[in-house]
Amino acid sequence: MNEPIRTENLTKNFNGFRAVDGLNIEVKRNSFMGFLGPNGAGKTTTIKILTGLLSPSSGSAYINGIDVAEKPKVALTNLGTIVETPEFYPYLTPNETLAYLGELHGMTGEDIKRRTKDVLDLVKMSEWADKRIGKFSKGMKQRVSVAQAILHEPTVVILDEPTSGLDPRGIFEVREVLSGLKKEGYTILMSSHMLNEVQEVCDEVALINRGQLLKRGPVEELTRSANVRRLDVKTFREATAAQLKQVSQLNGVTDFESFGSRDFALSLAGSDEAQAGLLEELRGIGLRVVSFKDSGVSLEGLYMSLIKDSR
Amino acid sequence: MIHINETVSPAVRRSAYIAPSDASQIGIVVKYDFLKYLRSKRLVGMLAIVSLVLLLITALPPLLGNSYADDANEFIGTYASFTSILIIIGATLFAGDAIVSEFQNRTGYLLFPKPVKRWVLLAGKFLASMGAMFLVLLLYYGVALLLDLAITGSFSVLGVESLLLAMLYAVAALSVGFLISSIMKGITGAQILTFALFLFIFTILTGVLTMGGVEPWFVVTYSGGTIGYITQDPYPTSGTATGGAPEGMAPGGLTSSYFPDVGVAIAVMAAYALISLVLAYYIFSRREMSA
Repeated sequence: MNEPIRTENLTKNFNGFRAVDGLNIEVKRNSFMGFLGPNGAGKTTTIKILTGLLSPSSGSAYINGIDVAEKPKVALTNLGTIVETPEFYPYLTPNETLAYLGELHGMTGEDIKRRTKDVLDLVKMSEWADKRIGKFSKGMKQRVSVAQAILHEPTVVILDEPTSGLDPRGIFEVREVLSGLKKEGYTILMSSHMLNEVQEVCDEVALINRGQLLKRGPVEELTRSANVRRLDVKTFREATAAQLKQVSQLNGVTDFESFGSRDFALSLAGSDEAQAGLLEELRGIGLRVVSFKDSGVSLEGLYMSLIKDSR
Repeated sequence: MIHINETVSPAVRRSAYIAPSDASQIGIVVKYDFLKYLRSKRLVGMLAIVSLVLLLITALPPLLGNSYADDANEFIGTYASFTSILIIIGATLFAGDAIVSEFQNRTGYLLFPKPVKRWVLLAGKFLASMGAMFLVLLLYYGVALLLDLAITGSFSVLGVESLLLAMLYAVAALSVGFLISSIMKGITGAQILTFALFLFIFTILTGVLTMGGVEPWFVVTYSGGTIGYITQDPYPTSGTATGGAPEGMAPGGLTSSYFPDVGVAIAVMAAYALISLVLAYYIFSRREMSA
């Protein structure tokens, strides 16, 4: 059992509702795993069990090989977390909050001072270090959340939608921080609704729905297996409604969407050969194609198809 | 572009920190919870109430043309008779939201995933609330005893005994407050219930039992009556009362000949403190951050 994060047949029931159903996941050392699923899939429940906030109905959750339910103090020592959007004690400043949490982790006063400066610089909250958190916006609190999660230099970090509530600039900055953590060799499990975020920063992805694991593996491998490409097409002349309808009904085409009469986008199942075939079929329909852009394979196609299949 | 200053090889990344002992963590929780009382102005507010009570008890008699009691015990008895209400207010302010606020305010998402046991959090919070309450009582009794010495010329040992009983009653009230706080879902509800339980519910129960001819020895507010009675010399015994209402009872002509036995009262208050705190721990340790 070398994986820093691991669940074994993890199950959680809430008054007859099974939120997590025999879930088995492992996050390899120094890897960054994205944890994806629709609302109510069981992501947050799993994360809460891993961080000691909930007890499993059956099965086990391990951090660094230590059962969280059996030995929470030892298991949580080397763990940094952001769960949901935590609130802070409004009467404390970021400096005081980090000192409180650092002391609970066993950090010395000198280390707390040094690390507090580092992590507040990292999340760009240094100038607010001595202001009471009660007056902070949600985005500012989320930055302090990131700071407290890595204050004690844990080996494992678990993040539950860390960019939730942030404005675009805040999202960008937190992603930069996450990319930095990845380079630093942290082992990270991050739940997110934002597929592009996961695709951008994660090495591996686990997709769950209804508390069960649907698929997991390296991002590249999964996107390859998705076998669905997003194509943006622009025609020379305006396409008629009949022509557009014909395109949407072509073999392998899904999620057809037109933007005016000269631009449309579609998802196409298949390889390069299917793309070449589509181009010929468009000509056959009488459309003269000006541009035919492959916007890449996305997790979105895989995600949507797996979620759809599991319903 | 954001850079992380410290570069650590992925293969050797290890957190160097080991969570301190439970005892050390209790001290840390006490420190920051006490800071909460200071920053939220609850302690200052409580001290302001104490100052006002002291001022009124001390200043009103001469203003109304009455003289102070000559006897040191009788003098301190006037102050002691107001202690219960101060303790009830203190328990409401310091204990009512101690546990429930971590859930309702979502600060539990920050604190509970840390390497600290639930009983350590409970103990730290309880000791902080005890510290705040004792500070209030020591100030109240300290000033009252000094005034007693200055006005009557003698020191009331029974006043000190009253203080000790008040401290025990305060611990019992705080424990019950923590129990309520560990059960309730909302801060306001927990605080109202703590206040109402001691001010009305226990008092009504005491009155009804007394009227029925049953000594309410097991009701904690009845035991708390010893705080005032202890300053009477001799200590009143059951059947000796000729009128008035027992400690904490609303006026209305109810008379009782029951007075709590000091030994039994101490045992009852200690039992309330212990049982409530154990139950509070049991509930708190099983309570989940599910919402």
